[in-house]
Amino acid sequence: MEYENRPVPEGINVSDEHPLVDFAWMLATVAVLVTVLVIALSLSAGWLARQVPMAQENSWAQTYIEAQPRELSDEALRKQRWLQTLADQLSPAMALEPDMTIRVHYVEDDSVINAFATLGGNVVIYSGLIQAVDSENALAMVMAHEIAHIKHRDPITALGRGVAVALGLSAIGGASDSAMAQQIVGNVGMLSGLTFSRSQEHAADKQAIDALLAHYGHLNGAATLFQELQKMEPRLMPEFMATHPLTEKRIARLTQAASGHPAGETTPLPAWLK
Amino acid sequence: MEFLVFLSLLTIGYLFGRMAEQRHFASIRERETEYRDVLAFSARFPPPTTDRIDAVLVDGNVVVAVDYFKMTAAALRNLLGGRVTSFETLIERARREAILRMKANAQAQGATQIFNVKLETSSIGQGASGQSFSVEVYAYGTALVPAKAA
Repeated sequence: MEYENRPVPEGINVSDEHPLVDFAWMLATVAVLVTVLVIALSLSAGWLARQVPMAQENSWAQTYIEAQPRELSDEALRKQRWLQTLADQLSPAMALEPDMTIRVHYVEDDSVINAFATLGGNVVIYSGLIQAVDSENALAMVMAHEIAHIKHRDPITALGRGVAVALGLSAIGGASDSAMAQQIVGNVGMLSGLTFSRSQEHAADKQAIDALLAHYGHLNGAATLFQELQKMEPRLMPEFMATHPLTEKRIARLTQAASGHPAGETTPLPAWLK
Repeated sequence: MEFLVFLSLLTIGYLFGRMAEQRHFASIRERETEYRDVLAFSARFPPPTTDRIDAVLVDGNVVVAVDYFKMTAAALRNLLGGRVTSFETLIERARREAILRMKANAQAQGATQIFNVKLETSSIGQGASGQSFSVEVYAYGTALVPAKAA
C-alpha cells in the first residue's frame, strides 16, 4: 500500500477577499442598521416623552430642586432677579403653554461660558456667560434660546430619547458580547443622535430670533456672544460630531435674519451685573 | 479621544497582524516542503509490517494571538452573521503550525510516519467581554520509530 501526504491545498480556508474590504462592508451595514434604529427609537421615545404633561414635569423638577437647596449671596440674588425679569419680558413674545413657567437660576462660575435649559422650565445661566457678553441683546439671545428649548419641550424629549437609545444600543452591543462591537455601535449611535440635538438647537435659535425681533424690534448685538465664542474655540471637531451647529453657521443665520430689519440701538447691561 | 485610541489600535492591529500572518504563512509553506518526508495520518492503525518498530507519542502545540483588527472584524461579523474570515486564517495557521511542530518532533526521533493524528483546539485568556484571546491548537499522534538494534 502506498501512503502519501499531498501538499495542503490553499484557498479553501483562507479566502481571497481583502480584509479591509470585508471590514468596510460590515462597518457600513452595521452603521446603517444602527442609524435606522436610533432614528426610530429617538422619534418614538421623543414623542412619548412629550406626552408627559408639563405639570408632571414641573413637579419632578421641583422635587429635585427642593432636595438640593442653594445658598445665594444678596448680590447673586439681585443678579438672579434681574435675569428672571429679562426672561419674563421675553416670554410673552414666545407664546408659551399656560403651565410653562420659566425659572432662572444664576450660578457663580466665571470659568463656564454656558447656559442651559432643563426639566420643569428651569434655565441655568452661568456668570461666565454674563462676563462674555457686552449687551442685554446678546444675553437676551441666549435667554430666548433657552426659553425656546422649554417651549419645544426639548429637555424632556432629550431625556426620553437618551434613555431609549441607550437601552437600544446596549441591547445590540450586549448581544454580541464584545467590547469592540459595543464601542462601534455606541459611536455610530451617538453620531446619529447628534443630528437630533443639532436640529433642536437650530429650531431654538430660530424661535429666539423671532422673540428678539418681537421684543427689541431688531437683532443688533444678538450675535456678539457667538462671535466671542468663535474667537475662543479652536475648530477641532467637524459638525457631524458636535451637539450644536457650527458657530459660524449660527452667526450666518442671525446675520441673514437681521438683514430685512432696521438696525436699532443695543441696550447696555447694568454695570453691577458683571 | 477614545475614538482616536480605538482607531490607532485598529491600525496597529491591522498592519502588524497582517505582516505577521503573511510571514507565518510563508514560513509554514516552506517548512511543509521541508517535512514532506514525515507522513501524518488520521488512521488509527498502521499497515501490517514485519519491521520492528517502537510507537512513540509525538506532539506539537501552538498559541496564536488574535490582533485587535481581527477581533473587531469578528465582533462586527457576530452582529451580521456569515463567514468569520478573519478567524478562519488564524485557525488555519494554528493548525498547520501545530502539525509542523509535531512532525519536527517526530523527525527528531527518527520517525517518518505518524498515525492516529488528532487536533485539539481551545481558546485561552478570554477577557470579561471576549476582548482578548488567543487560540491554541494541539496536535498529537503515534509516531512509528524503527526499533534500535537490541
